Amino acid sequence: MKATRREFVQWAVASGISLGVSRIGVAEIPGFLSHETLPGRGTKTPKTGRVDGVAKATGAKLYASDFRASDLPGWPPETSHALLVRTPNATHIYLGLDLERLSKIARPSVLVTSEDMKRVNIRVPEFYAGDLFCPAGTTPVYLGQPVAMLIFEKFDVFDQARLALRDGNFLKFGKETGPLTLPNYGAFRFTRVAGATPSDPDVYSPVQAGWISPGFLESSGRPIWKPLPVAKGSEYVKGATYGEEIRAKLASKDPDVLMLDRKFETQSVDPMFLEPEAGLAWYDPASKKLETVLGVQSPFEATESLAHLLGEAIPTLKPKIIDAQFAYVGGGFGGRDHTPFTLYVGLAGMFFPGHPVRLAHDRFQQFQGGVKRHAFKMRTQMSVDRATGKITAFAADHVLDGGGLMNYSPSVATVGGTGALGIYDVPRVDVTTVAEHTRGVTAGSMRGYGTLQTMTALESLVDEICTLLPMDQVEFRRRNALRLGGKIMTGHAYSVSVRTSEILDKLEVHPIWANRAEEKARAKPGFLIGTGVAIAAKDYGTGADCSLGRVEIDADGRISIHSDAVEMGNGIGTALANRVSYHVGGIADEVTVAQVDAFDVLELVKTGDPFTMSQDAQDAGAKNTRWVPEISSATSASIGAHVGTHAAAQAARIIFRFGLWPAALVLWGIAPSDPRAKQSEEAYWQGDTLVMTGLDPLPLKNIAAKAHRLNLVTGATAHAFSRWSWSQASFLISGETWSTDIDALAVRYGGSKFTRLDRSSVTFPPTDFNRIGVAFASLCGTGVRVEIEKATGKLQIVKAYSVLECGKALVPEVVVGQSQGGFAMGVGYALFENLPPFEDGPGNGQWNLGQYLIARGSDLPLHDLEIEILPPVSSNEPPKGMAEVVMIPVVPALLSAIYDAIGHRFQSLPVTQQMIKDAIA
Amino acid sequence: MTTVNMMINGQAYGPMDVRDDLTMNDFLRECLGMTGTKFGCGAGQCLSCSVIVDNPDGTSHTNPTCIVSAANFNGKKIRTIEGHAKNGELTILQKSFIEHFSFQCGYCTPGFLNEGQVLLERLEKKPLVREDLESAIGEALDGHLCRCTGYVKYHEAVKAAILKEPKRYLKDGGR
Amino acid sequence: MKNRLWILTGIIGIVLIFILRAEAKSASAKPLLENTLASPESFASIKDPQKLSAAYFTELSKVLTNQRCVNCHPSGDTPRQGDTRRLHQPLVYRGVDGFGTNSMRCSTCHQSANFEPGRIPGHPGWHLAPSEMAWEGKTVPEICEQIKDPQRNGNRTLHDLIDHIGKDTLVGWAWQPGYGRTPAPGTQAQAGALVEAWVNSGAACPQQQSSR
Repeated sequence: MKATRREFVQWAVASGISLGVSRIGVAEIPGFLSHETLPGRGTKTPKTGRVDGVAKATGAKLYASDFRASDLPGWPPETSHALLVRTPNATHIYLGLDLERLSKIARPSVLVTSEDMKRVNIRVPEFYAGDLFCPAGTTPVYLGQPVAMLIFEKFDVFDQARLALRDGNFLKFGKETGPLTLPNYGAFRFTRVAGATPSDPDVYSPVQAGWISPGFLESSGRPIWKPLPVAKGSEYVKGATYGEEIRAKLASKDPDVLMLDRKFETQSVDPMFLEPEAGLAWYDPASKKLETVLGVQSPFEATESLAHLLGEAIPTLKPKIIDAQFAYVGGGFGGRDHTPFTLYVGLAGMFFPGHPVRLAHDRFQQFQGGVKRHAFKMRTQMSVDRATGKITAFAADHVLDGGGLMNYSPSVATVGGTGALGIYDVPRVDVTTVAEHTRGVTAGSMRGYGTLQTMTALESLVDEICTLLPMDQVEFRRRNALRLGGKIMTGHAYSVSVRTSEILDKLEVHPIWANRAEEKARAKPGFLIGTGVAIAAKDYGTGADCSLGRVEIDADGRISIHSDAVEMGNGIGTALANRVSYHVGGIADEVTVAQVDAFDVLELVKTGDPFTMSQDAQDAGAKNTRWVPEISSATSASIGAHVGTHAAAQAARIIFRFGLWPAALVLWGIAPSDPRAKQSEEAYWQGDTLVMTGLDPLPLKNIAAKAHRLNLVTGATAHAFSRWSWSQASFLISGETWSTDIDALAVRYGGSKFTRLDRSSVTFPPTDFNRIGVAFASLCGTGVRVEIEKATGKLQIVKAYSVLECGKALVPEVVVGQSQGGFAMGVGYALFENLPPFEDGPGNGQWNLGQYLIARGSDLPLHDLEIEILPPVSSNEPPKGMAEVVMIPVVPALLSAIYDAIGHRFQSLPVTQQMIKDAIA
Repeated sequence: MTTVNMMINGQAYGPMDVRDDLTMNDFLRECLGMTGTKFGCGAGQCLSCSVIVDNPDGTSHTNPTCIVSAANFNGKKIRTIEGHAKNGELTILQKSFIEHFSFQCGYCTPGFLNEGQVLLERLEKKPLVREDLESAIGEALDGHLCRCTGYVKYHEAVKAAILKEPKRYLKDGGR
Repeated sequence: MKNRLWILTGIIGIVLIFILRAEAKSASAKPLLENTLASPESFASIKDPQKLSAAYFTELSKVLTNQRCVNCHPSGDTPRQGDTRRLHQPLVYRGVDGFGTNSMRCSTCHQSANFEPGRIPGHPGWHLAPSEMAWEGKTVPEICEQIKDPQRNGNRTLHDLIDHIGKDTLVGWAWQPGYGRTPAPGTQAQAGALVEAWVNSGAACPQQQSSR
């Protein structure tokens, strides 16, 4: 088996590398964190807007790609530049680099190859398992695999080498071997047979029986899904037997049942975040300290991975300290969650000791080396009772192109698989999924995470069923929609609000849907009009989500917030400031995100993998008051609002309850014995003024000053962990027991230092919850109207409407913005974006924008795109993740609208203008 | 090598010797450390690297920097995102971008801001009738790619900045 | 959940299986496109003067219908680009003068010469051919008639065409298009010689059935 996170950390400790130690700043150059702390004290800001608004509108240094050595205090002034040379060939034996020819153009100062990895004993973290560089004499595992890293002391030499390598062939290849065939990354089967009535327990489900994988492979490497009559893998046999029964029923001819069996293919696409990956590393051999500047969605993981990478290296190349600093991110969309790029940045620094080295992709390299969205091949079957319009059974088979390295492939396969049933409540379900290795560029996490693909296939199938029954598309969905308490494919119910009916009602009465017949009839000569609708339910959270937050108020009432969450455009900094202000009244003027070392006072430790640990192991761990199942998690899976702000909000609540509130009581002259002293919940903030009925309003400034003078709580640092529910713990604060949804806490009294508090009791969510897969989901429905020019096949989206629910929207403007952006990304996926697999694809190093098309303004209904956010079900409904779900329904809605307009159903993506033109002809 | 001189945000740079195949983008980012101008694609496709060129005839236009040599900018006057605000005072358009939550990750913002600013200045010299406004904004911004926002709030922000002062930018004050 | 699955996949094991795929095609086996022009002399065997003249034009049409020329002689208001003739990205329009719109002038990106670091073509006069000179989607006989018509050839005499095609430097760019773009067939001088031969032989057009 593989190394777990525990081993990473143990190694980091055992090998004597300490992580995330802050640097001592030099006066004249502002420290890195002063760039990343926004808006910054004294910055003039407009009344509304994001905390990073001014920095981003003025071109401040903010992103990892903005920093050079000369921008960082204490670093040598000159920046050297590294270049990853990647292979465009994965079918021939790689012989080596023609360094002699390259050196005539541009001579590198350092050459790093596979041999160096062995020589200095570099260890690849298990998640990235595989050769960091293709060894000479072997066939590259995938297109775009690095074969060497070149480091150039001077920019001009580097730049000339970059151009030469881009345009010329400097890699030598020998004999043709064909592509390597490697085992698949994971194969899973999800089968559920419901009880006779909704109140009966399931006959079989993944939650009851555990998750199953087939134990046997064909010679081609494909899993054998049928249960084999052998003793081995009996758990699989049981589930698969139920699955095969469902398949047999689907195949049987029954005139009362409509059964549809369709294939659907989706393409590989690039996250196409605007900032190509970039990083900076400097290893100072004197102090044995490696400093890095990176921009990733998973800072804690990146730091751990660097420590693992170098943990067993030879003494001259093993740092004592790694100080990893993380910058704002120029777009992520999943593509910067667990990116191998980080490892190469670290190596670049280590292999040119004493020199700060920058590694930065250009766009060709980003296409060639960045993680992609999985291409899916799907078969989907659904049977519907013609009389009732109820879905009786569902089966699907998914094959994912995982590309060259495993990365998140198994996880994407399961999330796509368990999401394949969208919003529907179906009693008999059987889904198989396998993620395959291919020689393509590695696929990994990307917005939608497998469900975009499977729900597009699902909703297209549903649309066709509605045509064939026939039944109105909204009505059919209403009859089959999951409701609160209804079970999903894994055999449990969502633990959050499920608002399918409301979303369907909204779609039904919206003019786009209500007026579709009239609008279709009104098409201009030479044009066709079509209307489509679709709905999606997307999980958020991973089942091991962590939140770290630190909030402080100074004696002038100024608030600062520190968080481990990453700002990648999602507005996390602004959401933090808003959620904290709900408790403490003011908007922070210092918000620092993506921090890994601001929470050291909590002294957190962990001992296992939160996804696989046993209940006993968790119980044993919990005895140590510093122990948590996991310390920090990536900003991904749409957890920003729900998780990212949680710890800071809890910290702010503690500051209010044990700092500001008692200070306010003193200012009001209310004695502790007065019954009003217990009514803290009834006070509320109006701007930065605390209001309590019958008492004088108090400005935050005065309360904060008093809290400092009285040595009350003025700062709190908290950690929280969620495995589909929050861990809970009790702490003794100011002599009072405080129980809440956190598991570690430190507080600051007055102007003193933070003190860690031992928890007096703790409850972590049971490890059994790991079988659930998902327990949180949010919904989005989309209606679109398209106009298609018959002669050219040109499609214009004339009107669109998306309705979503996300609990409490912390920053409504950001939610609307993400919804508009999700719509645009959905349009690109449905109509434009396409990366061919293999040699003609991005792994050849010749792809860029221009050839790769994403949606631009003129492709979208900029003045007719309506976004509606349902209000929360109650005033205390927590925020729900929404950044992924909003890009999903637009894709099948467009396919539905295209069918409505031209009478042809497309079963693959993207649907290009030429395809529409051909279908009309 | 070419010796270049240029005026950037009102400040003179040069004479400096640059390689003939050095892009203007690398000149700004690597040689001058001015990273407000972004690098997105290196192929003139996303325009996040656009700067404003002020022509001798008083007109201005945006120019991508990733596909044009630094030598080509010799003798030119340019403005970058770092040069819009004066003494910490944001321009109307910068404020409008912030107030409308126009950007998310913000990486494409410099290009949009420069393009919007050039449009404002062009309309000031040659006002439009109100009904042509949306299409003028659409045409101006359409070359710029954004992956986060869906473009809506950029368009709203530029429009709001213009409609804030209709007499300045529109024929007959926009009536 | 995201993390735990790569643990489960350990079931499958990590064994490298190398399979030689004998049928896999060689990556470098693409045939070279014919990219030459025949000289006027090589048509000497054609005795019918009409047919001879038309043959010169048919040979010349390998240039005129080449993507290097057609991409900027488009049927609409938007040029195409690349060997695959995809729509120009970013989307640009001819504007009133053929040099782009207010916000997107050709010259903002296309400088006075090709700039290879950006793989961007250039020429001081970079612009779109006027709409009436569109060749995209037309047959060779149609282009032939069009190119003889002063209303649709930029008000040129037949004689002007010899220099336009044979010597104009913007036209000449088609033979030095830069990295990743296949040059037009032959050389500009050879193309000019064909125009000259065609004009001097009466500028006959090929019959409609000839392929474009």
